Amino acid sequence: MRQIIRQREIVVDAWRYPGEAGDGPVVQPLAEYLAVVLAGQAPEHGTGVRIGPTDEVERLGPHLGRVDLVVVEFPKNGDGRGFTQGQMLRQRYRYAGELRAAGVIFRDHMFYLARCGFDAFDLAPGESPQAALAALHSFSVAYQGASDAGVHTHGRRCG
Amino acid sequence: MSARAVVPAAGVPYSDAVYQYDDIDQTLVDERVRQFREQTRRFLAGELSEDDFRPLRLRNGLYIQRHAPMLRIAIPYGLLASRQVRMLAHIARKYDRDYGHFTTRQNMQFNWPRLEDVPDILADLASVQMHSIQTSGNCIRNVTSDHLAGVAPDEIADPRPWCEIIRQWSTLHPEFSYLPRKFKIAVTGAPTDRAASEIHDIGVHIVRGPDGGLGFEILVGGGLGRTPMIGKVIRRYLPQADLLGYLEAILRVYNRHGRRDNIHKARIKILLKALGAEEFARQVEAEFEANREFAPRVDAAEVERVSAFFRGLPYAQLADIDAAAGRSPAFQAWYRHNTRAHKVSGYRSVFLSLKKHGVPPGDVTSAQLDAIAALADEYSFGLVRVTHDQNLVFADVRQSDLHALWQALEPLGLATPNIGTLTDMICCPGLDFCSLANAGSLGVARQIQEHFGDFDYLYDLGPIEIKMSGCMNACGHHHVGHIGILGVDKHGEEWYQIQLGGSARGQVALGEVLGPSVRQAEVAGVIARILDVYVQRREDADETFLETVRRIGIEPFQERVYAADHQAA
Repeated sequence: MRQIIRQREIVVDAWRYPGEAGDGPVVQPLAEYLAVVLAGQAPEHGTGVRIGPTDEVERLGPHLGRVDLVVVEFPKNGDGRGFTQGQMLRQRYRYAGELRAAGVIFRDHMFYLARCGFDAFDLAPGESPQAALAALHSFSVAYQGASDAGVHTHGRRCG
Repeated sequence: MSARAVVPAAGVPYSDAVYQYDDIDQTLVDERVRQFREQTRRFLAGELSEDDFRPLRLRNGLYIQRHAPMLRIAIPYGLLASRQVRMLAHIARKYDRDYGHFTTRQNMQFNWPRLEDVPDILADLASVQMHSIQTSGNCIRNVTSDHLAGVAPDEIADPRPWCEIIRQWSTLHPEFSYLPRKFKIAVTGAPTDRAASEIHDIGVHIVRGPDGGLGFEILVGGGLGRTPMIGKVIRRYLPQADLLGYLEAILRVYNRHGRRDNIHKARIKILLKALGAEEFARQVEAEFEANREFAPRVDAAEVERVSAFFRGLPYAQLADIDAAAGRSPAFQAWYRHNTRAHKVSGYRSVFLSLKKHGVPPGDVTSAQLDAIAALADEYSFGLVRVTHDQNLVFADVRQSDLHALWQALEPLGLATPNIGTLTDMICCPGLDFCSLANAGSLGVARQIQEHFGDFDYLYDLGPIEIKMSGCMNACGHHHVGHIGILGVDKHGEEWYQIQLGGSARGQVALGEVLGPSVRQAEVAGVIARILDVYVQRREDADETFLETVRRIGIEPFQERVYAADHQAA
């Protein structure tokens, strides 16, 4: 049973990642999901899609109306492509479903991720969910506009 | 009102002409100190591995060096109020070995702090509106600028308000804090580039547009290191309000498509080269257009709020005078080499040389820092600037005060009249401190200073820039030195490769390698032979070294340096 943070709460994940056994809806890798779309078999609801650092969000963009969960993979500490993917999904494609950061996610990334629109977090093994939740409050101010989900900055300079 | 009247006494906060933090700015640095204190605690308690702590400490300027941690402190666009200078002195005294080092990017480095003390150092810095946020790591680094900003006679507009706006926008940017590699931005406001902007990832030049309004020319992809490249113009004119939106578009294209598989190919210059400047510019423009709705716009009120901090120094109404007339030859030499024209009559800008012979370039003691702060209060509105050549500037000195200031600087070892000469070298800390270096560049700097101690000869040679790096990471900017020196390792021995003809200002150029590298003991001798060729071949006394190299090429220098009677490998 995987515990994740979703909407500022520690919850048990209802989804199954690719290859996982058990109940619950399955998260599909982007290529697999696009094949389903191409075959005209994409359901209207209940779809979760996983994207990796090299996946282009432009390919997913047109189908987001039927997607309830996007899992953005952060396979390596320091690879920041997922931050741009999150920001683009929320802003350019107005994606309103669950946006989950998964992989090498430490509390130190939480504030940045939340500001890029992530509202769910599947943390690195061993990282404390309580500490990660608290880290959403690392800063009470910000200099940039962004797609904040779950962080409340009272001071804002531009954007 | 006289200049003296507004000078703050020791302990009184700030000259008016630096950006002053409001609640947002102060809260952010205070919260950053708290965050870093907790990160350091986790590391020391064994809760964070070295690998996981590294990216966290680096983005706060903290390296683990050869002997001890090294802490790099941001001096945004090189501008310091005297109270901040005093704080740097305090930190040197309390936490370090009584000295600090100014870098080629207008920052200050301390080489001997204890890791446990770093959170306290940061708290001390925050108390004077300073920090070390993003002075290292794969993020947007401290923004640099012209050390004569606001006072240079050739200036179109003061670049510092734009530097401050970029500083704020780039600080803890949520999307661009985990880039493929480090990212450096420089801003200039004058046609003369005193900020080496063309060897930055982004160079921002204030220019006049077709309608006469002020905007920006944008260059991308400059940088030194293993693959030195000069920045390419991707936008000739960008309206002011679009600056941050355009920077975001550049950063987004880079964050998505910059290489992450090889640290040596991860800078934006490699992406630009792979795509070609035209295609890169096309992608940036497309992203800029697509993102307009969400891009930050710089509104006029904010520009005015920030600009106001840099205006309004209470200059006295003074006539220009000939401050050197009737003075000693020693003062005249200093006046000629270490002072520059000012846009306001009756004033000059003064360089404090941190290149005293026998002292590592850029090093300064806590006693010197305290004295500098006091002299800045007395003579230059309480302000000090750091240059990318590792010197300091008092930008606003009354011409009638120059002699008294010189007399005060001389015993402090800050009046060496060598600005712009051969011994005004840029040099990285090298093997003495840095764990990357191959070579003891500071020792070679000393060797050159000793060999060329005769000022009459230095003056006869005219302007020559030597830039020296202890390894190919090029922190000493050797590619753009008129004479560039690169330390290389050959089977465990230090050798030095010499380059000629580089330049970081005006007609920017990368130097050409002279030939096989030479032994450490031979470096000054080789430079002497290079200079002999120059003195013999220059057309007249006005032709500079760089002009001669450009005119005759490097062959005559190669012939002399590698003549059969000299040993080189």
